[in-house]
Amino acid sequence: MPTADAAPILQVRGLEVRYGSVPALRDVDLEVQRGEIVGLIGPNGAGKSTTLQAIVGTVRASAGEILLGGVSIRGQAPERIVRSGVGLVPEGRRIFAALTVEENLRLGLAGRRSKNGAHEALEMVNELFPVLRESRRRHAGLLSGGQQQQLAIGRALVAEPDVLLLDEPSLGLAPTIVDAVFEKLGAIRDRGVTILLVEQRAQRTVAFADRTYVLANGELRMTLGPGEAGDTDRMVAAYFGS
Amino acid sequence: MRRGDLVQLLGPIGLVVLVGIIGSLGFVSPDRQVEILGALVSVAIVVSLYVFVGNSGVVSFGHVSFVAVGAFAAGVMTIPVTLKPTITPGLFSLLARHSLGNVPSLVLAALVGGVFALLVGIPLMRLSGLSAGIATFAVLGVTHNILANWTKIGPGPLTLTTIPQTTGMLQGTLGAVGVVLVAFAYQRSRFGRKLRAAREDPAAARAAGIDIHRERLWAFALSGTLCGFAGGLFVHQAGTLQAGDVYLDLTFLTLAMLVVGGVGSLWGAVVGALVVSALGSFLLDAENGDVGFVNDLLGKPLWGGSRLVGVAAFMALVLVLLPSGLTNGREFGLPRLPRIRRPVRGSAS
Amino acid sequence: MTEHVQTLLDAVALGSIYGLMAIGIGLVFGVLRLVNFAYGQLVMAGAYALALTQDVSVVLSIALCFAVVLALSLAMELAAFRPLRNASPTTMLVATFAISYLLQSIALVRFGAIGKILVVIPQLTKPLTIGSLHVRWITIVTILVAAGVFAALTLFLTRTSIGLQMRAASIDSETARLLGVRANAVITVAVLISGAIAALVAVILPMAVPERILVTPDYALRETIIVLVGVVVGGIDRLLTATLGGFTMGFLVGALSGFLPSSGSWPFTSSVYLDSAVFMLVIVVLLLRPEGLFTRSRRSVVDRV
Ligand SMILES: Nc1ncnc2c1ncn2[C@@H]1O[C@H](COP(=O)(O)OP(=O)(O)OP(=O)(O)O)[C@@H](O)[C@H]1O
Ligand SMILES: [Mg+2]
Repeated sequence: MPTADAAPILQVRGLEVRYGSVPALRDVDLEVQRGEIVGLIGPNGAGKSTTLQAIVGTVRASAGEILLGGVSIRGQAPERIVRSGVGLVPEGRRIFAALTVEENLRLGLAGRRSKNGAHEALEMVNELFPVLRESRRRHAGLLSGGQQQQLAIGRALVAEPDVLLLDEPSLGLAPTIVDAVFEKLGAIRDRGVTILLVEQRAQRTVAFADRTYVLANGELRMTLGPGEAGDTDRMVAAYFGS
Repeated sequence: MRRGDLVQLLGPIGLVVLVGIIGSLGFVSPDRQVEILGALVSVAIVVSLYVFVGNSGVVSFGHVSFVAVGAFAAGVMTIPVTLKPTITPGLFSLLARHSLGNVPSLVLAALVGGVFALLVGIPLMRLSGLSAGIATFAVLGVTHNILANWTKIGPGPLTLTTIPQTTGMLQGTLGAVGVVLVAFAYQRSRFGRKLRAAREDPAAARAAGIDIHRERLWAFALSGTLCGFAGGLFVHQAGTLQAGDVYLDLTFLTLAMLVVGGVGSLWGAVVGALVVSALGSFLLDAENGDVGFVNDLLGKPLWGGSRLVGVAAFMALVLVLLPSGLTNGREFGLPRLPRIRRPVRGSAS
Repeated sequence: MTEHVQTLLDAVALGSIYGLMAIGIGLVFGVLRLVNFAYGQLVMAGAYALALTQDVSVVLSIALCFAVVLALSLAMELAAFRPLRNASPTTMLVATFAISYLLQSIALVRFGAIGKILVVIPQLTKPLTIGSLHVRWITIVTILVAAGVFAALTLFLTRTSIGLQMRAASIDSETARLLGVRANAVITVAVLISGAIAALVAVILPMAVPERILVTPDYALRETIIVLVGVVVGGIDRLLTATLGGFTMGFLVGALSGFLPSSGSWPFTSSVYLDSAVFMLVIVVLLLRPEGLFTRSRRSVVDRV
């Protein structure tokens, strides 16, 4: 349901990131409209995680612009970017294993813009992921992989971000659980959260997202629509061609 | 040896010799000579410390222990036998009944420092990071506590006096040059290069078959030997010695010198020792009212004790603003960093 | 018998003071990964503040002590810790070494090497007699205060959101920041709490430890060294283990100095060799359990599935 008039909620222009002297991203342009689910796929080492990290400010962009709702956020501290409405579910989830599930969720409140409504936000997440309510007093490290993934998503959601960035949420999960995760992502979008989804499961993501960017070797190769999920030839070419 | 290597050595040696020559000039006042000699002894201690810290990348807070045992060994053993019962009663009779000459006492100091470092290093070099730092500190604590109390091996809580002041300008300069030469030879040797490789990238070094524990131990023992020797120079310069002289203050000062110069290079160790010494001398002059512009600026000499404050502040400032020191960890005469890495890569592959 | 009880009580009190200092050092280490060697100089500054104003009024004097120490803590954070945020732990340790010396030499220049006598609240140094047992009030107060601080801090860390954020930042500060935790705010709070504890120690130490009645430039230096060692030995990664490490050190020092003879001709046979004994023990512990005496597992608590 993108609204026609508004500026893109997230816009990346000419992004370049270097690790030492090696460029990991070159001239990357991305646009995410309000209410969209946008995919970002690519082979290992393509620079997907780097893109997300540059957006949230944990790696420095050496060139380019990053705009959130039309306002530049490049160079700001990660906590400030998160507090202005970007949520991240990081690669590997990065749950606080020694803290309880509830404490992990309460930590997510740190990213909220307003003090009010924290309770409602926690309720909303508990409704979306009932397993979190059931195990709220357990140490997060004791949860299964799928439950930890739900916790990581829930922890980002309690801040009620405008845009949710997810880095390979299906990694290491059993197929049925992967289905459940994708289903939840749909539900989250229906609550008005825009989603930028980094994935390795290429076809699945292309079919699921409104638009999917293909990244290889630090450069954007093409954009695919949901109808092109079956077009493996093009995808293979984008992955491995030069 | 390539020409570049020679240049690298020339910087530190040249600077030390230059300082020694300046100290020997006729018009330099005796007070100033004492300060210059002190600076040369500092170079010896700091370069000894650098042999371990610089090459291994592990900070040691315990190196002054080796300076201390060297200083006490050289001091106790050069006091005339006839004076020992008055100055340090209670010595083991073996120590009480014998005395050594100047050079043998320096050899003894080096030996004692080296053996002590080897013994301490065998267990300690297994540790790394903060644990290693704290453990070396604990060694310093034990050494100081025993030296300050045990009257069978030294003066205990008393002060050792009548130690022959044999460290003159020539011996001080030669001593410092000697330590620099050994340090340079070590860092150019197979051992030194292996250790530096391990400092840059422990995992890769291990994969290349380098036994980090053993390489560190060699460096630690060598560094302890040099520290002991430097302790001998130290005590023969001062003429008196108390356990407190070779404890926290000296640990701080020598670490400060090393860090200010830049931990990563021999050139840094020498520059750091000389710069901090020079700053100390300058502030002392200013305290005594001998520096014209300070007098004019303040309308009076600098406050007494400014030297301590100034040196500490300078070190804190350098650490915060230039964490890799004045030389930025480079050797003398090399314009860019990559060249210093060359031996590292060579030995790792 | 009663003599032993007195010695043990004194040892517990000393352990409590060391435990307090361990909390102060451990809190800052948690959020900054920085071992603050200059912690003792915060206590020293507080003690001078007390000593120089003790003729005025106790309340005012103590308030000033807290103000001075808190201001100094904040200054350290802003001028030194913050610029060194990304430096290696050893660089930071050496830097705090320099700060420690800087503050000591300032005290030396300003106040001289001769100590100032400091009695904060004279009534507290009087003994309380129960049967044949004489315990000084300050001994009891010290133990209670330390226990109170520990309890309050536990509540703070588990019940408040800033406390929760502090724990998270100690475990994994990068992830905490990714959740919107303001690292600098959390660090500032930790530094201030740590400073407040140093001020508290400055008030208690001169009354609780007889030799510490004299305030000198190297005031609390020996305590800091032993506490630092204790904190690392106990396990610096977690506040509880760090505190236990500090407490154990203090208790050991207190008990050993009470029970060892005061002179002997060989090392380790008398209480003058107490430091040696303690440091030797530390070396042994570090060799056997480099990750800390009281830590449960070899792996750290950070988990990245
Ligand atoms: N901290 C780092 N330092 C140096 N190089 C890095 C760093 N992080 C990533 N890289 C390099 O940058 C490139 C892009 O990495 P990135 O993690 O963004 O890829 P990715 O697309 O997320 O891969 P994956 O699917 O494996 O997660 C890779 O070549 C990687 O080796
Ligand atoms: Mg990735």
